[in-house]
Amino acid sequence: MAQQIVMDVTGDTRHEFDPTDAAALAEARARFKQLTDAGFTAAVRKGSGISQLVRHFDLAADETVFFPRLRGG
Amino acid sequence: MRFVGGDLPLGPVLATLAILTCALVLGHVREVSQRRTAEEKALTLLKQWLSPAELAQYEKHSYFEVTGGDSGKRYRIRPSRQMNLDELDERGTRTAAWCFGPEGELPIGDVMLAQKIAVENNERGALALANRGSLLQSPPRLG
Repeated sequence: MAQQIVMDVTGDTRHEFDPTDAAALAEARARFKQLTDAGFTAAVRKGSGISQLVRHFDLAADETVFFPRLRGG
Repeated sequence: MRFVGGDLPLGPVLATLAILTCALVLGHVREVSQRRTAEEKALTLLKQWLSPAELAQYEKHSYFEVTGGDSGKRYRIRPSRQMNLDELDERGTRTAAWCFGPEGELPIGDVMLAQKIAVENNERGALALANRGSLLQSPPRLG
């Protein structure tokens, strides 16, 4: 199972999906687009402590985290 | 039977006040509990995304250090909402303090993870948004 983790006030909301399921994959792809269009940054975990920003839905990613737009504090 | 202001009976007024007070207290307790759960959840996620060395540092000192993806500089990320990103020199001395984070009221663990990802992958972009703070104020002692 792959996971999309969306940071929010509850900590995060997780969406699990089976990448071999075409319908689930389409839903995950749509969620990715909806979030990034709304200004969220997406990053995938590439290894221990290593992440990479992604601008397009990554089929191979086991775990993608989304955080809201950054701003100066 | 006593009346308030000559019209309202005192008993129902006091009962209503008691109910409202209870509702406020219960609401506050629920809010605190939800906030604590959110913080724990965010810390769990943060720890999953840290390297073993970063995690060990975090467990020991409540902060961890990352390397800027563009400059190679070291940064210390402390658990705070304001000015919690310290730029370090080669000796580990703080040379600047930066403040940026994701929009919204996210738990601290989420803020720290977003900062780690941003500094490692888009250091210039993140610092372009950030506010640079004064070094006159000492960072809090941690760990």
